[in-house]
Amino acid sequence: MTVLLSEPAPAAGPTAAGPRRPRRDLGVQALIIASIVLVTIGAVVPLVAVLATAFGSDALPRYAEFFTSSVDLTILRNTLVLGFLVGVCGTALGFLFAFVQARLDVPGKKILHVIALMPIVSPPFAVATATVVLYGRRGVISNGLFGIEYDIYGLDGLVFVLSLSLFPVAYLGLLGMLRGLDPALEEAAMNMGATRWQILRTVILPLLAPGLVAPFLLLFVEAIADLANPLVLGGDYTVLASRAYLAVTGEYDTTSAAVYCVILLVPSLAMYFGQRWWLNRKVRTTITGRPSGSVHLVTGWARWPIYGLALLAAAVIVSLYGTVIVGAVTRVFGVDNTFTLDYLKEVVLGVGSEAVLDTLTFAAIATPVAAFFGLVVAWLVVRHLHRTAWLLDLGGTLGVAVPGTVLGIGFVLAYRPDRYIGDFQVFPSLVGGGAIAGGAFAIVLAYVVRSVPAGQRTAVGALTQLHPYIEQASTDLGASPLRTFRWVTLPLIRPALLTGLSYSFARSMTSVSTIVLLVTPETKIITSQVLSAASTGRYGVAFAYCTVLTALVLVAFALIRLVVGAGVSLQRTVTSERQKR
Amino acid sequence: MTAAPVATDSVVARPEAGTGRLQLEALTKRFTGRSGTVTAVDQVTLDVRAGEFITLLGPSGCGKTTTLRMVAGFEDASTGHIRLDDAVIDHLPPQRRPMAMVFQSYALFPHMTVAQNIAYGLRLQRRTREEIATSMRMALTSMNLVGMEDRSPHELSGGQQQRVALARALVVQPKVLLFDEPLSNLDAKLRDAMRAEIRRIQKMFGITSIYVTHDQDEAMSMSDRIVVMNKARVEQVATPGEIYARPSSVFVADFIGRANFLEAVPERIDGTSAVVTVLGRQLTVAAHPTVAAGGVGTYLMVRPETMRLTPVTDGGTGIGVVLRSTFHGPSIDYEVETTAGTVTVTEVGKDPREALGEGTNVDVTIDPERAYLLTQD
Repeated sequence: MTVLLSEPAPAAGPTAAGPRRPRRDLGVQALIIASIVLVTIGAVVPLVAVLATAFGSDALPRYAEFFTSSVDLTILRNTLVLGFLVGVCGTALGFLFAFVQARLDVPGKKILHVIALMPIVSPPFAVATATVVLYGRRGVISNGLFGIEYDIYGLDGLVFVLSLSLFPVAYLGLLGMLRGLDPALEEAAMNMGATRWQILRTVILPLLAPGLVAPFLLLFVEAIADLANPLVLGGDYTVLASRAYLAVTGEYDTTSAAVYCVILLVPSLAMYFGQRWWLNRKVRTTITGRPSGSVHLVTGWARWPIYGLALLAAAVIVSLYGTVIVGAVTRVFGVDNTFTLDYLKEVVLGVGSEAVLDTLTFAAIATPVAAFFGLVVAWLVVRHLHRTAWLLDLGGTLGVAVPGTVLGIGFVLAYRPDRYIGDFQVFPSLVGGGAIAGGAFAIVLAYVVRSVPAGQRTAVGALTQLHPYIEQASTDLGASPLRTFRWVTLPLIRPALLTGLSYSFARSMTSVSTIVLLVTPETKIITSQVLSAASTGRYGVAFAYCTVLTALVLVAFALIRLVVGAGVSLQRTVTSERQKR
Repeated sequence: MTAAPVATDSVVARPEAGTGRLQLEALTKRFTGRSGTVTAVDQVTLDVRAGEFITLLGPSGCGKTTTLRMVAGFEDASTGHIRLDDAVIDHLPPQRRPMAMVFQSYALFPHMTVAQNIAYGLRLQRRTREEIATSMRMALTSMNLVGMEDRSPHELSGGQQQRVALARALVVQPKVLLFDEPLSNLDAKLRDAMRAEIRRIQKMFGITSIYVTHDQDEAMSMSDRIVVMNKARVEQVATPGEIYARPSSVFVADFIGRANFLEAVPERIDGTSAVVTVLGRQLTVAAHPTVAAGGVGTYLMVRPETMRLTPVTDGGTGIGVVLRSTFHGPSIDYEVETTAGTVTVTEVGKDPREALGEGTNVDVTIDPERAYLLTQD
């Protein structure tokens, strides 16, 4: 004590005051530059390449053609109708599952939750292919069980498959919102004489109405951007994404492709940013005071039809994924049901092993990079950039806002030719036959760019919740911003890191639309193998690929959890405890 | 009190004079969780007269809110019965009980305007447009909300939200009004104003009211009777004055206001009074029925403001020494070390310049009329 007291006070003066440094910390600056470079080469340049081609002089007449050709206009209408229907059906399905989960007193809700999340993990192909096998013209269920010759190819099949594949996003969002409603509001209504149905109609639905818009828009965007399902299930029903893909791969007409891309970009970007704007509005749903009361689960007879509906949907989901697994080990599922390991052997040990290995390698490289940049971009946006924050935020988000097909075509346009300045080659070809590393660089880059936004979004959410004082306390004690990020911020938002890593890996492994345009003979990717297997009718092989891919993703989830640590469950437990009472 | 016939199947029962008697009979609530069964409310029996304002008071976790929620119908009682005007209502769901609750969070519907919030219950009752308009006008006027009909709840201050919540509960003309700590989100000044407001409205309409709070001041100033609860059980049911002057247990005396507990051995007991020797003086004081002559664990409860300090000026020593004095504005608190331990004495209305200094030798006198002999729980 005495030593401390006798120390001359002024000694602390100069260090504490220090020379004022208005300039940003070097580490932070480096991160800003790295993020900008990534976003630029991964998203901005390809997008600009598409736009440049689409507005080049030889492209302009194509617009007049497009808007006068009845074929093209039908494609545009098809796309919008598909987006709308998937938005409505997917959101409704998500609400159904969320309502059952949050409000019905029924058994087996945990299992229903897991079933509702299954579509996140597996590639959309699995669902599309299984749908053809089960519910198609010669479907095991539609024809075998009910004797109907139903033509699943077309709009109905697409809506069915896309709604089932995409609804988990709506489910999770609506579940969170339902659980966030102050139970006292429902009790107040109940207390004044409202019946269950009246509460749903006058309180719950009006309060959730704004919350239904965001998932609708998000599903709309994802549905019109989807390429895989229209290729497998579209039949005569052509949409912009599949049309653009055919223009590149079948007709080698990049100009038309770019034009289709731009026309697809308009509703995509509008809906995507409409959705973000809608979510960011300052909506006050709760008034002063803590939420009180407890959730009253529906216990009357009315729960059974609703539950039945959810069970039916769950049964369909299970049947589809069951088909994938069973289909992988039967000769021709539904026709020749003999057990076989040939398909799995082909995938794991034979021709497919190369694809599995390549995909794993690329995804393993892309995952940490994407998760890292997701966090960094979020951290820069929330904490370090002010006026330019929205720009970086926007750039980071382009990976999902721009349809994968458009991004893929952008990569082709921007990076297929070698770039020369004079005679000097500044940029070698990254895409196509002669690309360096067999196009691996472009594939990994595409994975990263497509995966960054998910981690970025969760991290922005987590960081906004985290009071800046916590970081300021660390900086105040003398830590540099990077040190603060490493030792204070990162541990606190570890759940966001976990989500980012898991989601990045799953997205990379299952990504199709961008990747099918980037694969070369030297690089094989599981999803493009599935596409070729499925479109040539080799369903067994397609199922085997899907099974292996799903297994790999699940193993990776477990590994990521093991390495990063399971910090996520903390908040979950608290909320679920509250739910139980 | 004559029991009026109750239409248990109708959603609305307009209160008639003399209706609204609420009886709780051995009401018990047990929650079964992973860590075993917890009894949240244990054998609560209570008879609330029609038009009475009764407060459930106790520390958090004492079971007062659970009791209220059972009355409202949000929780089912494990055992016991609830009667409204002599009819058992245990089986009625909340929407069929002619009661209205004012929530701690107000629970105003954020997607409706003030008018829509207030009209909500009336609409559910399928009242005519004119009826709704009339009731609305009355509610708005009596709650000072005229001109705010079209505002959204989040545009209102806390006090205004509170009044809308009260108006919404009142217009459905419930037989029983339930309050779940409705003032805990308001600041102190507003809280005082709202207390008076709630009481005024309650008296005006003569609606039986159950009010839950952990604020003893709130309970004292508003209630006809207070129910003090502790650890799931009822400790005492009495008027505020009775509770303050004649608490039935050390817990109640300690929870309501401040009290000194001086160990005392009753020498003689005569009906409801006893003779004890405390601080060197023999006193005849009122005693709780559980007090037994010569019993141990008996304490004399003395409120700080009923004690008097006299400085010993002639150089002698008194029975106590002032340890510390704290100035509160209208009153001064003294902590005095005595032979019976440290006691707190409050002097009201004294000139602060004449406050006794620390270390002053004092005599301590107790007003036997206002002291009460108790046994330790």
